[in-house]
Amino acid sequence: MQFFFEVLIGGLLAGVMYSLVALGFVLIYKASGVFNFAQGAMVFFAALTTVGFMSMGAPFWLAVGLALAAMAALAVFTERVVLRPLVNQPQITLFMATIGLTYFIEGIAQLAWGAQVHALDLGVADEPIGWLMDHTGMNISKFDLVASGIAATLVAVLALFFNKTRTGRALRAVADDHQAALAVGISLQRIWVIVWMTAGFVALVTGLLWGARNGVQFALTFLALKALPVLVLGGFDSIAGAIVGGLIIGASEKLAEVYIGPLVGGGIESWFPYVLALGFLLVRPEGLFGERRIDRV
Amino acid sequence: MPQALQDTFPRLLLNQAKVRPDRPAIREKDLGIWQTWTWAQALEEVRSLACGLAAQGFKRGDRLAVVGDNRPRLYWAMMAAQSLGGVPVPLYQDAVAAEMAFVLQDADIGFAVAEDQEQVDKLLENLTQCPKLGRIYFDDPRGLRHYAQGELMSLDALQALGRDFAGRNPEFFAAEVEKGRAADVAVILYTSGTTGNPKGVAQTHAALIETARVLVAFDGFTEKDEVLCYLPMAWVGDFLYSYAQSLVAGFRLNCPESPETVMTDLREIGPTYYFGPPRVYENILTQVMIRIEDASWPKRWMFRYFMALAKRVGMSIMEGKPGVSLKDRLLYALGGLLVYGPLKNVLGLSRIRVAYTGGEAIGPDLFDFYRSIGVNLKQLYGMTETCVTVSMHASGEVKLETVGRPMPGVEVRIADSGEVLVRSPGVMREYHKRPDATREAIDAEGFFHTGDAGFFDAEGHLKIIDRAKDVGRLADGALFAPKYIENKLKFFPYIKEAVCFGDVRDKVCAFVNIDMAAVGNWAERRNIAYSGYADLASQPAVCDLIRECVEKVNRDLAAYSALGESQIRRFLILHKELDADDGELTRTRKVRRGHIADKYVVLVDALYSGKSSCFIETQMRFEDGRIGTVSADLPILEAQRYAAPEARKAA
Amino acid sequence: MSEISERGKIGAPLLQVEDISLAFGGVVALQGVSFDVREHEVRAIIGPNGAGKSSMLNVINGVYHPQRGTVAFKGRRRRRVDPHEAARQGIARTFQNIALFRGMSVLDNLMTGRNLKMRCNVLQQALYLGPARREELEHREKVEAVIDFLEIQHIRKTPVGRLPYGLQKRVELGRALAAEPELLLLDEPMAGMNLEEKQDMSRFILDVNDQMGTTIVLIEHDMSVVMDLSDRVVVLDYGRKIADGTPDEVRGNKAVIDAYLGVAH
Repeated sequence: MQFFFEVLIGGLLAGVMYSLVALGFVLIYKASGVFNFAQGAMVFFAALTTVGFMSMGAPFWLAVGLALAAMAALAVFTERVVLRPLVNQPQITLFMATIGLTYFIEGIAQLAWGAQVHALDLGVADEPIGWLMDHTGMNISKFDLVASGIAATLVAVLALFFNKTRTGRALRAVADDHQAALAVGISLQRIWVIVWMTAGFVALVTGLLWGARNGVQFALTFLALKALPVLVLGGFDSIAGAIVGGLIIGASEKLAEVYIGPLVGGGIESWFPYVLALGFLLVRPEGLFGERRIDRV
Repeated sequence: MPQALQDTFPRLLLNQAKVRPDRPAIREKDLGIWQTWTWAQALEEVRSLACGLAAQGFKRGDRLAVVGDNRPRLYWAMMAAQSLGGVPVPLYQDAVAAEMAFVLQDADIGFAVAEDQEQVDKLLENLTQCPKLGRIYFDDPRGLRHYAQGELMSLDALQALGRDFAGRNPEFFAAEVEKGRAADVAVILYTSGTTGNPKGVAQTHAALIETARVLVAFDGFTEKDEVLCYLPMAWVGDFLYSYAQSLVAGFRLNCPESPETVMTDLREIGPTYYFGPPRVYENILTQVMIRIEDASWPKRWMFRYFMALAKRVGMSIMEGKPGVSLKDRLLYALGGLLVYGPLKNVLGLSRIRVAYTGGEAIGPDLFDFYRSIGVNLKQLYGMTETCVTVSMHASGEVKLETVGRPMPGVEVRIADSGEVLVRSPGVMREYHKRPDATREAIDAEGFFHTGDAGFFDAEGHLKIIDRAKDVGRLADGALFAPKYIENKLKFFPYIKEAVCFGDVRDKVCAFVNIDMAAVGNWAERRNIAYSGYADLASQPAVCDLIRECVEKVNRDLAAYSALGESQIRRFLILHKELDADDGELTRTRKVRRGHIADKYVVLVDALYSGKSSCFIETQMRFEDGRIGTVSADLPILEAQRYAAPEARKAA
Repeated sequence: MSEISERGKIGAPLLQVEDISLAFGGVVALQGVSFDVREHEVRAIIGPNGAGKSSMLNVINGVYHPQRGTVAFKGRRRRRVDPHEAARQGIARTFQNIALFRGMSVLDNLMTGRNLKMRCNVLQQALYLGPARREELEHREKVEAVIDFLEIQHIRKTPVGRLPYGLQKRVELGRALAAEPELLLLDEPMAGMNLEEKQDMSRFILDVNDQMGTTIVLIEHDMSVVMDLSDRVVVLDYGRKIADGTPDEVRGNKAVIDAYLGVAH
């Protein structure tokens, strides 16, 4: 039983990280209806930029600030060059455009900072928490716990921002009805820039946490693929869905690996979430928390 | 002289403003925020209104109409009129202009306070019929900017006049209040009779204040209590339970934001004390049930499980009765956390100490629902003429079937006819301008004739069964309340209509109409084939089904010695449905007993003659207007008679 | 019923539409339409289906850009303007097919209407600093006044998507009012309503005009409603103006009668 909890908690903590990635997708999808394929690339870009500045001798917080500025610039660039010319184009066009954007960002990142793997140290060791180990015998990583704490704070702040402020309200308004938003004087362009900046900020946090764990490397871009089952599970347009979806995916893949893996020869961690998502698509295509579309004739 | 006999409402207000000047007296939600007035502030508002009215020529004995939703300034306007020795006359806010005309004329209204444009419009429409109506004051100026009528003035302007007047005559207000006598009429409340014009019930300060004192003592209200004023101001219940009681006990009134927001306001206020007619409780429950149906299945399951538990043990736990297992107590506590608590919170009943209902009978399911989740719901009985409050359930002595024991100070006597007679400090002084009606209602000994028939059960609880005029006597003199028995029968889903006979006869017999849908459904589940109503009604299985219902009613009747004799001995199931088109029902679907007795005299005779069946042929009008005949040989059924419970125990 | 707004207070032209022509591809929607709207007046645009009424409203509010002609608001002539810019200048509108934020509460919808009046920047909001909080409260008060005015207190916290149609229309009017506009454009405010809802809406429109002094341009195809509400009426047919005047003048106009009865051109 103790082992079960250890696996479960480890899985949930990993799940928080998945949630974070999915959150970036949800933000942009909600506000502009675009499935942003470039979210993974943004995570990579953000982490690499931070590490890059640090390798040039900048202290950590300055590097983070500079990376944040870079993400903001990227948001403005995206709105100007990609979104604005494509207003009122079909979703698939925008999706293709974000694929293009992915290559662009990856290219820029490697051009600027090179392609080698960088280590990133956030000052929190990836080691078991002694107190827990002593008292319960469970092996829970300190780093995972801190990372989850950061992620949870980020989510809480975003939720407050969305619900309590004018810009948050405007974001929700745009997500709801473009035409009406325009009529009350909300500038779509401004909102898009803010959304992409927010997504960039989320990407930066994600990138730093994942980078510190697995090294800042090109593989970070594949995180986008990891977020896919989370989104299917939680729904593309729900922040709560992204969080719960991430937790479920994290916990179930670890549990599946430990308890079902041995039966089929192991290694199922990497594909189990997709099977889960596929099953889910059949039952509830709009996701756990997604908005159910009712088509009225 | 006891305090109550000297007090008037304005003196109570002065007292509250002295004893607890800074405690909140009244709150109103405006622009989304609860605004509060303390007792001291309320007194100031009343003073300026009263002085304003005086400056406008309002004199001792004048009457002030008040019409609108529950608003602080309308309550204060009533108080202002009373301060000047005048009489407030609250009107129903949903009455149309023509309905208002009678009251405005009957009460000789010269001054009126209206809530808003809608009410002002109705009053203005009556200007020509009511030449005395010379002054109309309004609370909410919205939409009234361009009204040019000279009669109109805003309450703001009136209060400004009043402050000016008070500045010049600083002793005026106190002196006017001092002139008031407890025996003065405090309010005239109009009751809508079933026939004819409404009658104005004139109640004195003494009657209302004494009744309120008794009520406050009865359930121990203090300044910490809180009530939401949402029932019409023209209704005696609001005047007594909100206005009078808060002045006696010093508790806080809360005025809802608008009639549509009552549920939300209820939740925000969380009153400790609540009054509503049964339909209000029913509406609330319906809303809950709709939400539950929409909820996800785990929630539905949880709700069902814990509601079933509450039904089993909730009432015993609330009343502190023994015999509930520890396991059930723990589960009930868990249910409180998961279901009852949140439910009460949504309903705005989290802080409720006592809740009253009255006016009409409340269904057992409804009553049990609230009591089982821990809401101390009690029934009371009374009418405008008696300041309500003839009798009421005491906490811990609540019985669905009764309306409790008479309140302290109230004498209840059952007349030979079965009519309930009441003598109490709360009985009205008179019907306004109707000495004839007053003489008819109050006898020489001072008893008010309620027009209701009832009796006391073994524990001394009053039980109301019917209107007195509908109650008869069996040949041996035992009480016979046909509508009461018929309603009990109709309470079964299988019985659609019932007609009881028994007045001056030796026993009670009944006609029954089965409910085609319910019985048809029941028969189909048992594979009983039938071709139509008459066929279904004559099936032996159906006869047995209905007999069971009749016998259940008999058992209930046997429980009361006064009704034990009126058990149904013989009955038959009619071969056709009673129909308004055939003159058997009124258009409002009430049974026309006399007409039916004449039309089916053969059947009635058969019931009383001891025959076992009877042939009948009846003309009836089909839906397409054709007239045909139906005939049948109706079996006459016997029902078992039960002895009173004590007698059974003895045997 | 209160008297209809005093005619005397109507002031100088607030909006001047001059020689507007608009075409989509080859389809002509508006052709050389000119009229003006005076301060504090209720101005109706009527016409049969497809007459170009909604297009006209969309031109005024900057959704469509006309090929020819100008629109002058508060004396400032402009050829091109965005809806967002129009809102900034004090033009608010409602839509024929209700464009509310369905997932948001009534209160939030109305607060969105005050979007342009809010000054705090994103950073202040993100940190929820004192000024941002004060600003929220201040605007909440204004919005509460609108809620009170439209008698929608009971649905303050209800998500708009759950409301019946008639109430949604009222909320949409509320969102427009929350912006404290100088010019209010109403696109068929009474379409699809029952008689009682229509009466309520008429009362609100008159009250807005009367108590807030807001200038109103409304589109309706129900003639009777328009005649009771408006000070002056423009009649469009096939994208052209065929009449302009007081309700009485327009009612007697032969071209108008023909257009409504469908006389062949």
